[in-house]
Amino acid sequence: MTVSSRTGQHLTDTVRQTIFIILLSMALGAAINLIRPDSIPFVETWSMADKLVTEDGETLAIPLEDAAALFADNAAVFLDARTHAEYAQGHIQGAVNLPWHEVDNYFETVIMTLDPETTTITYCDGEACPLSHDLALFLKDLGFTRVKVLVNGWTLWKEHNLPVTIPSS
Amino acid sequence: MHKKKQPKNVAFTIGYHFTRLVMAGVFIYASIDKIIHPDLFAEAVYNYQVLPEYLVNLTALILPWLELTLGACLLINRWMAGASTLAAMLMALFVGMIIFNLARGLDISCGCFSAAPDDDPITVLTLARDILFLIFSLGLAGLVFVKNTCRVGNTHKHFP
Repeated sequence: MTVSSRTGQHLTDTVRQTIFIILLSMALGAAINLIRPDSIPFVETWSMADKLVTEDGETLAIPLEDAAALFADNAAVFLDARTHAEYAQGHIQGAVNLPWHEVDNYFETVIMTLDPETTTITYCDGEACPLSHDLALFLKDLGFTRVKVLVNGWTLWKEHNLPVTIPSS
Repeated sequence: MHKKKQPKNVAFTIGYHFTRLVMAGVFIYASIDKIIHPDLFAEAVYNYQVLPEYLVNLTALILPWLELTLGACLLINRWMAGASTLAAMLMALFVGMIIFNLARGLDISCGCFSAAPDDDPITVLTLARDILFLIFSLGLAGLVFVKNTCRVGNTHKHFP
């Protein structure tokens, strides 16, 4: 065989084997998912707002306009669920830092000072950030009646030029 | 019958088997946790925010098996043309995704070797590691090409 015919053969093998490996993986992935007890749906809704529905059907997500209106009326407490370091780099004006990962440490200093009847809006950063959602459910369990989640809160708030606190340094 | 191997061929053979085994280990190891926890890996895929919703779970179900299958091919030294090409393509894709999300400042988990969303955040180190693996994969694909087209040494029969 000449080099060029071997090159042609190599390319044919490459395409054929690549397709075969991909098809085999698809078949294995699908088959194992069908028989395993903890399978996941092949297609699922991944919008965060749809996931923020409690068991009794209440929607936790609050639209930015509503959150901004409550902010303007000073009618809600904003809780920043991100880490202290992220909070220190900038946060919604007047927001209280309640890092979800250290929530126990902030129990007395933050949670005990909040009024369970006041509208409380939790936020973190990123469409998929779970911190605010987890914090909101935790507060609901504690008896807070008006808890809302501002999905992707920090980014949205900044994008709409709403009041923030950012250290000057 | 038994020709003495040229030093060049020895280096070639060592390079070939070294990159082959390293990438086999990387892909097989990377696939295991994701196969065990498809729900967590789906979350990691979603967090990358590059796929339409309906492709998130399908990707989370198939990608780990693709890694395992091609890792197994690399390990047993079969279908090397396809496996080495796929390995390089996947590594290029991963590097691209990491650069994309580092550039837009998304604070997400890598989902590289562990499916858990809290593990292994993407950093410049993650990027450096994946670029190294990309170089290995490209090197391996190149070596397989040379092996299949140039008949290096007398070991051609081992490489279908």
